[in-house]
Amino acid sequence: MACTSIRPSPGSPLDLSRPPEAAGSPEERALALEQENLRLRRICASLIERVEAGSTVGGAPYAAFEHTVLLAEQVRERTEALQQTLLELHQAKAEAEAANHSKTRFLAAVSHDLLQPLNAARLFTCALEEHDLPDPSRRLVGNVARSLKDVEALLGTLVDISRLDAGLLKPDKAPFRANELLDVLAEEYRQMASVCGLTLRYVASQEMIESDLALLARVVRNFLSNAIRYTQQGRILLGCRHRPGGLEIVVGDTGPGIEEAHQQAIFQEFRRLGNSVDERDRGLGLGLAIVDRISAMLEHPLRLVSRPGHGALFSILVPYAGATRVAANRAEPKPRYDSAAPSIGGTVWVIDNDRAIREGMEALLCGWGCRVVTAASLGEIDGQGRESPPDILLIDYHLSDMACAEDGIAVAVKLRQRCPGLPVVLITANHDAALKVRARREGFDCLLKPLKPLRLRMLLLQRLASVRAERG
Amino acid sequence: MDPCAVKPEGRGHRAVEPALRTAFSEQHDPESAARELAEALASPELGFVLFFCSAEYALDDLGSAMREAFSGVELAGCTTAGEITPKGYCRGCIVAIGFGRRRFSLSCALIDDLAAFDLIQAQRLIGGLLENCRSLASGDHVGNRFVMTLLDGLSSSEEEVLATLDTALGSIPSFGGSAGDDNRLAHTHVFFDGRFHSDAAVVVMFHTPLPFEVFTAHHLRPQAMKLVVTRADTERRRVLELNAAPAAEEYARLVGMSLEALTPDIFARHPLAVRIGEHHYVRSIQRVNDDGSLSFYCAVENGIVLTAMRPAPLLDELESVLAGLRQRLGEPALILGCDCFLRRLELESLGQVAEASRLVGRAGVIGFNTYGEQYHGMHLNQTFTGVAIGSLPPT
Repeated sequence: MACTSIRPSPGSPLDLSRPPEAAGSPEERALALEQENLRLRRICASLIERVEAGSTVGGAPYAAFEHTVLLAEQVRERTEALQQTLLELHQAKAEAEAANHSKTRFLAAVSHDLLQPLNAARLFTCALEEHDLPDPSRRLVGNVARSLKDVEALLGTLVDISRLDAGLLKPDKAPFRANELLDVLAEEYRQMASVCGLTLRYVASQEMIESDLALLARVVRNFLSNAIRYTQQGRILLGCRHRPGGLEIVVGDTGPGIEEAHQQAIFQEFRRLGNSVDERDRGLGLGLAIVDRISAMLEHPLRLVSRPGHGALFSILVPYAGATRVAANRAEPKPRYDSAAPSIGGTVWVIDNDRAIREGMEALLCGWGCRVVTAASLGEIDGQGRESPPDILLIDYHLSDMACAEDGIAVAVKLRQRCPGLPVVLITANHDAALKVRARREGFDCLLKPLKPLRLRMLLLQRLASVRAERG
Repeated sequence: MDPCAVKPEGRGHRAVEPALRTAFSEQHDPESAARELAEALASPELGFVLFFCSAEYALDDLGSAMREAFSGVELAGCTTAGEITPKGYCRGCIVAIGFGRRRFSLSCALIDDLAAFDLIQAQRLIGGLLENCRSLASGDHVGNRFVMTLLDGLSSSEEEVLATLDTALGSIPSFGGSAGDDNRLAHTHVFFDGRFHSDAAVVVMFHTPLPFEVFTAHHLRPQAMKLVVTRADTERRRVLELNAAPAAEEYARLVGMSLEALTPDIFARHPLAVRIGEHHYVRSIQRVNDDGSLSFYCAVENGIVLTAMRPAPLLDELESVLAGLRQRLGEPALILGCDCFLRRLELESLGQVAEASRLVGRAGVIGFNTYGEQYHGMHLNQTFTGVAIGSLPPT
């Protein structure tokens, strides 16, 4: 072998980074350099061989190792870059969420403050409508009532959209029969349709589905009111289709239809197509934007099928209820109210820290033939209500001010300890699902502000009827 | 029988049915050793047992004893160059981990012809393991997978088998160790399907909802000196010349020792590494041959550049690795560790075994001293490589 003839310096290995130290006679140095030169040439040749071989995949074992290392290195670098990007995205998202959150809190606070007087005004007008009024005044009162209702609807929509965007509205899913929801809606919209000269065809289904009843109702209502709004003549269809993935609730119309190009855009905020039938319609074009958000939150897919001139078909796919859970009858009683209805009677205690609301309630409830005791706190009502024990309690959730540190639920729980079985209706502007759950756990009913007088009346009738039944 | 010889690991006993149990036995008689392990690991939950044993055991007897003691439970394992038990570093004993069915679905396969192992076989093997894990996992068993490889440490085919396996594994993380034989360099074995095999590899796939981290770490720092391989016997993993001089001589000059003084202990303290990208990968020397060449534990080739490395304090590095794992995963339920036997030699020559035992014992490391480690398809030397498994599923 060539290498065995080379005698490297005995002391240290070949240092590739610096030349050997000069020592000995010129002949010895020349020999040493010659030997070193020879070695360097061999090293050079090996390196050239290696470089030229490259890291051939599937070649020698070392190449396999090198290839794996390079691959792992690449993966590591990419993972790091990806993690960095994710981190930045995460931060940006957190900042955006914080900004959105504070906006939502502001909006919620403003709307809460607006809802209070609005609520009072609605109660006053309702009470006023009960009075015997001359016709011109009755019309004026009616107009006031409608305007207030519009303001309320707009405000509610704005609050909802901000809440949906901020992820504050949490769905409260439960199983129920499709017709429990749709019967009511069909009845309601049949009348609206006939006013506009349209017929509504309704195909009922008894299928058990699982969803948030209130949110799903909003979606279907929105479909129905859009269908009526945009259809000049013909029919509206409300029905269900059994799909493998769930029950598809369908609203179809014979209106002008929607061009393919617009089918995405109508789900965005403030977008409306310019062919509304009703000139007085004052909507903001937020309806389908809300529908889109609700559908995303409930994870119920939406579908739109439409051809210009051939009507439109909106649908939402709701999963079937799991077989294990059997639904209690959650159907909202059909609110059918006419002024000739018999008086309700009974003693109603009202606890609310807002004087205007108390007065509005008193006016409304007295109009329904109830005895009413109002107070701002539990202490106060104890003084006033000694004479007439309550048949039912209406209590505002948001009591906490100087006078009362507890919220409505806590106060109601206390009162109920004294009056076992007392029906409690909690009234709140807080749309938090957790609150609803808390109220439900106590067996309380929950009504949201702004209070719908019709709904309150139905609830009072129902609860008082069962109280009377118990008492025999 | 000494009841203290078998110590089911303390932390596992807090839960009613722990997901993991560990045990070890210092009995030399295969039957008694297997019986002790079986008693300590016995549980209706027990689904799989992984064990690491000294090559001093009569392996045929140990194989049948284990098969009998754990009848109905799948087993995999390998021989070692030292064991890591709940008590720390041991020799001449057997250590085992029992995996509960509720938290772990394990499935394993054997590669019995390493030289012929190709991508088609690899894909079939991994596909089978995935399928098996899926069928074992109960319906709501969500989680992630990782793979542990146990290779015959003297087979000289780690690099290619691992590269092929890694391609088939895709994004599933993997790690492992090469079986040892108490530094005799004669026969190393892996255990599969009731018996020991040589020139073979066992691939174990884990599926668990518990968090885990596959890791590798070493404590070696590059020096200025470079050695170029100018002649190599690729097939036998031998370097004949370094810097155009006989390899052993040039290495002896590097470390400032005579040829006769070159022992594994010196190899451990003066390692050589290749640099790829920004990282150094140690290529460990196995022994000096009579012809003045050096045998390596890994693939070598003409023209590769070796960098001289020096160890930093091993215990400091070990402590920081374990602390990092604890910080990221919480208190680990188990660290399955493949610790290069050269690290063990370094600890022994520095008199730090007891201190290291205390560290790994406290951290819950169970494993063995290897003739090479595997990490994401890479064949490594002189590292501490493994997987740390957290105690609680991520919420």
